[in-house]
Amino acid sequence: MLEDELTVNIRHRDGVAIIDLIGDVTTFAEEKINGAYRQVTAKGDRFILLNFRQNDYINSAGIAILIGIVTEVNQNGQKLAVSGLSPHFQKIFRMVGLAQYAEIYQTEEDALSAFKRLGAVE
Amino acid sequence: MSDVEGATGQVIELRLPSRLGYERIAMDTAAALARRMGFADERIDALRTAIGEAVTNAIEHGNQADAAMKVVVVLTVRPDELIISVSDQGRRALELEQTKTRPHIADAFQRADKGGWGIWLMRELMDEVEFTLAPGGGNQVRMVVHLERSPVGDQ
Repeated sequence: MLEDELTVNIRHRDGVAIIDLIGDVTTFAEEKINGAYRQVTAKGDRFILLNFRQNDYINSAGIAILIGIVTEVNQNGQKLAVSGLSPHFQKIFRMVGLAQYAEIYQTEEDALSAFKRLGAVE
Repeated sequence: MSDVEGATGQVIELRLPSRLGYERIAMDTAAALARRMGFADERIDALRTAIGEAVTNAIEHGNQADAAMKVVVVLTVRPDELIISVSDQGRRALELEQTKTRPHIADAFQRADKGGWGIWLMRELMDEVEFTLAPGGGNQVRMVVHLERSPVGDQ
């Protein structure tokens, strides 16, 4: 009842791998998020967007999972951004320091425009 | 302390099984209460995160995720503040020194365990946070959030 499942969906737009995270990002989300990241990395994607849905629950275990993703993104020379975070979680991403490694955009469209400037094209 | 608070405020007590996910019950209850007290949305979000971390710690660490052990959450309403106390049954005691550290993301990149953000977030987001060890065993954290004060952690 309370172990909310996270739905993870992978899409591609304009040369960017978009990983939609629909639901809660807690310890239960680890396998799905890491699996999605491994999948896009195996396909050679260099530009990755984690697209959150407003008002979700992200806790410190979820933050640790995301730091794990950032660690690998840096090692693999990829570029990571996030979109769709509520103002509260934008603030937490800045406090933790995640925002230094994954640029925060309000919307998916904003993130895609920024990736385009960095050279992502279909 | 809780007797005095009980005599002057309204007290709500939750007893939760030590299973991850139940922290949401405490988060939702505290948020509903804080909304009725007139807290701003931003403060309610901060409260949700802080209480979620406190209950998750109690479940995972203090009670070692033994579902038979309870986490007790006491919410005390005062005219100008909300006091949240979260207690576990202390299967494992918290090291109080570890409640004062500030984690750094660059260090986390080097570690296999990238966690350790929960208590720091609680301290950043709440107006007062105090950890104590009950004499009979059990960890307790007492957090206070004041009404009509500029948010902490925004600077």
